[in-house]
Amino acid sequence: MTKKPDPLETAESIGRAVRNRERSAVEVARVFVERAERSAPRLSTYLHRDGARTLEMAAEVDRRLESGEKLSPLAGVPIALKDNLCTHGIPTTCGSRILEGYLPPYDAHVVERLRAAGAVFTGKTNCDEFAMGSSTENSAYFPTRNPWDLDRVPGGSSGGSAATVAALEASLALGSDTGGSVRQPAAFCGVFGLKPTYGAVSRYGLVAFASSLDQIGPFARTARDVALLFNEICGRDERDMTSRSDATPIDLESLERGVRGMKIGIPRDLLSVGVDPEITASLDRVTKKLSGEGAEILDVTLPHARYSIATYYLIAPAEASSNLARYDGVRYGFRAKSDDLQTMYASTRGKGFGREVRRRILLGTYALSAGYYDAYYLRAMKVRTLVRRDFDQALLRADAILLPTTPTPPFKLGEKVDDPLAMYLNDIFSIPASLAGAPALSFPSGRTRSNLPIGLQLVGRPFDEGTLLRIARTWEKKSGDPLGVPPIANGGART
Amino acid sequence: MPIDAKVVQQVAVLARLQVESSEEARLVKELTSILSYVEQLQDLDVSGIEPTSQVGEGTKAPLREDEVKPSNVRDEALAQAPDRDGDYFRVPQVV
Amino acid sequence: MSATRPAPESPSKAEAGAAPGRYETVVGLEVHAQLKTASKIFCCCSTKFGARPNTQVCPICLGLPGVLPILNERAVRFAVMTGIAVGGTIAVRSVFARKNYFYPDLPKGYQISQYDRPLCSGGTVEIHVGGAWKRIGLVRIHLEEDAGKSLHPEGRQGVNTTLVDLNRSGVPLIEIVSEPEIRSGAEAYDYLIRLKQILVYLDVCDGNMEEGSLRCDANVSVRPRGQSVFGTKTEIKNMNSFRNVERAIAFETERQIRLLESGGRVVQETLLWNADKGKAEPMRSKEEAHDYRYFPEPDLLPLDLEPPWIESVRSALPELPHQVRERLTRDFGIPEYDAEVLTETRALASYYEEVARRSGSAKLASNWIMTEVNGIRNKEGQSIEEFPIRPDRLGTLVRMIAEERISGKIGKQLFEMMLTRPEDPEALVKSQGLLPIDDEASLRAIAREVIAANPGPAAEVRAGKERTFAFLVGQAMKQSRGRAHPEKIQDALKKELEAT
Repeated sequence: MTKKPDPLETAESIGRAVRNRERSAVEVARVFVERAERSAPRLSTYLHRDGARTLEMAAEVDRRLESGEKLSPLAGVPIALKDNLCTHGIPTTCGSRILEGYLPPYDAHVVERLRAAGAVFTGKTNCDEFAMGSSTENSAYFPTRNPWDLDRVPGGSSGGSAATVAALEASLALGSDTGGSVRQPAAFCGVFGLKPTYGAVSRYGLVAFASSLDQIGPFARTARDVALLFNEICGRDERDMTSRSDATPIDLESLERGVRGMKIGIPRDLLSVGVDPEITASLDRVTKKLSGEGAEILDVTLPHARYSIATYYLIAPAEASSNLARYDGVRYGFRAKSDDLQTMYASTRGKGFGREVRRRILLGTYALSAGYYDAYYLRAMKVRTLVRRDFDQALLRADAILLPTTPTPPFKLGEKVDDPLAMYLNDIFSIPASLAGAPALSFPSGRTRSNLPIGLQLVGRPFDEGTLLRIARTWEKKSGDPLGVPPIANGGART
Repeated sequence: MPIDAKVVQQVAVLARLQVESSEEARLVKELTSILSYVEQLQDLDVSGIEPTSQVGEGTKAPLREDEVKPSNVRDEALAQAPDRDGDYFRVPQVV
Repeated sequence: MSATRPAPESPSKAEAGAAPGRYETVVGLEVHAQLKTASKIFCCCSTKFGARPNTQVCPICLGLPGVLPILNERAVRFAVMTGIAVGGTIAVRSVFARKNYFYPDLPKGYQISQYDRPLCSGGTVEIHVGGAWKRIGLVRIHLEEDAGKSLHPEGRQGVNTTLVDLNRSGVPLIEIVSEPEIRSGAEAYDYLIRLKQILVYLDVCDGNMEEGSLRCDANVSVRPRGQSVFGTKTEIKNMNSFRNVERAIAFETERQIRLLESGGRVVQETLLWNADKGKAEPMRSKEEAHDYRYFPEPDLLPLDLEPPWIESVRSALPELPHQVRERLTRDFGIPEYDAEVLTETRALASYYEEVARRSGSAKLASNWIMTEVNGIRNKEGQSIEEFPIRPDRLGTLVRMIAEERISGKIGKQLFEMMLTRPEDPEALVKSQGLLPIDDEASLRAIAREVIAANPGPAAEVRAGKERTFAFLVGQAMKQSRGRAHPEKIQDALKKELEAT
């Protein structure tokens, strides 16, 4: 009953032990809370963290189990939530001043599901303001640091979620991915991150950035744990008309079946945009290993993928400019004082939003404005169709597409903040799948010579997350230890 | 049309975003660089291509039955208001 | 709509709002009709009017972060019903779009509406002005959500504020846009009456302008007769009754003509109708150029309607005003004018049908409803549903008159009584002693009394002055409170005059 919980154990085994009453959820939670108390201040992973509340949630799980309630495999598993997921009565700021102190009166769909499952929330993780960014430096509160190198960014926008799982402060985490915001920080922090197929997970209660691209996705330390969390949150929800019943839970045992006979495509044309040699080397290693396991490796082309960034940086800001219009100081959040309504609006929004958000609102407003709509927004939507077709074509031949998650390893804090375009170009490998609405998984493939994580990405057919996880699981099993533990998580470190 | 300070301010009015004159030059530079980057889309021939506004287009989403379900968020929601007058949200006068 | 209407004739002269002389008025109307659903278009809040402020709200219609719209099936059905009823084309795919603008009662900073792909295109509404029927074409009908309500109370200590109530935010609306084919205020008035009639017959809108469930904006311009190019238009808002729409158009037409005649030019602008002053005044606020930045609503998929579903809505459509009109003239043989009056509402038409059937006299039933029933209702402001004499009792009354069992005069007395008493007219006639007097003895007794009371006129009649006989008949009817049989009393009088 009182075997000491080891946070390095998987969410799967933690959940099993709690359900079997081999450990109490409170004991598990205490280990994670204590760890977060040590490392979170240095990493700045959380915007809102309340250890007492976490322990209380865990105690509630123990009570439910005590009373004989059957709980899900996630019962008692400590999970972190990105701060753009609405949590009833718990601050939800999206990393923005404009929502400072805001308390949602309802839970997001995924939050509701996880509560019912008996998950234990560790807190709300830091992110780029309204999920706009690739480094978590756009948080209005503070930047989060990469657990592998405190001078480097954890990626973004779900940087807090990725870092907290990497640093063993939480067993699992949820983030949101619009153009790579789960996958890129997963790669930078050396954990798994899945962007599900668009429509696989209800967006109800996810604060919108770009509605046609946003998806909530899990972070985990193993492929099986990704599936476990995905299974708990996927499926149709009547509160999101774009959510789909095609999304069904993944059979965990199917992940163990290897890759023999599978066709894995490499988009050589896209890779020509330039990739860090260590990442290319990692891609080659993984390719070779999978080939050795019986997969067929073939070349595919995604001829329009190189237009993805241009397409994305019209569509996402346009939708964002509209989605963020509700932050007007009338009903909630920050309001700048003024006796004049128009001044109140402009000043509230001018002061309440940070630099990147304002830049994107201006860009999106411009792209939608009279006279520019056809040249910008409409054209971008058409190119989006071309990008989708590229994936449809490629995935006729291949079961999955393998490519880097990012062109470079994690960069340094401050390195790109003054050059928005350079920051955007970092998303070249993650954005195409976002535009296509395809499922995409970033998995840890190794580390650079300077011990920074490298992540590779698998993109699949709609609602075929299972195949991506199966490939990643095969690599995970055969590669030894792709994950590792960053130095900061020294307490329970076992490298 | 090239982006200049005047355009930035016009768009800012449309977006109800205060842009200080000290920010104008930076914004002109940044927006110009992004917009010239996205110019590459003009190279593509998109004639006859249907736009994608939603990847789920064409899938059936069941509509909602017309049923009233009371929501109990009123008090919590009103409590968030930066300014209120009894039951109402209050704002500076609309002119 | 109906294809049996006579072709429109040239517009009649002297209509309210018609341009005098050389000018022609051109009006297009945009009508917003609130759909009679129980819940809002994108959330489960009630649409009931008059609730305490901000009580019919939820995260969705408050525009809280993270919420998404869920489309109400009945709102779609009602919009499709309307489209079919006016003969429009229902789109198998229509697209919701965001209309972006800032206003304190617009919680999301955008209104979900439809833009370049509306639910319904085309269709017509037939109007009847100056004795002729005319078809007004429709551009489109689309679905959208309503905004909340802003109140502007008197400020305290010079600081004026606006109060926001979001109960109405998200109430389903259809916007019905007419072609600029309306030529006068009177035509606009009739168009609105007819359109409202259709909506109320369909039971998709309650048509109540005071509660804002029907709202109308007008685009008005004038042009020299014979010119095909439109003049510069102005948009008039804030008209809270059909009569005010008519008056506002008349006012604006005159203003524009005066302006043009004096060498001026019409400026495209938005005017607010001030009903107290009877004037349309430019909006006070400096109106910045609107740029609504419409784009497809990414939170909703395109609305795809299966043709069989559209057909099922079509076949379940209730009878429309023109269909009932035609049926009444055909089945009951009443004049078109009567049918027009009796089909004002579906309930009135049903009321008439029952009275006509029970009475066996369609025209007499029509007369009674048009004069007596409508007379009382207009005075009391009653709907036909509230009228105290139900059609079964009125039918019996009209039958008694038709069968000449009572006179029309007695009928009216009975009618008055029936307004406050629940009994059947047959029972009332008996209990109130209103049965006709036609037995010889009673009639002779009345005659005797009348002759005794009027010795002078009786003598004149006996002397051969026949015209005075009518006076005696009148006195006899009066004496019997109208109950005396009108022919038999003459016989009785003659006999008594001879006998005395």
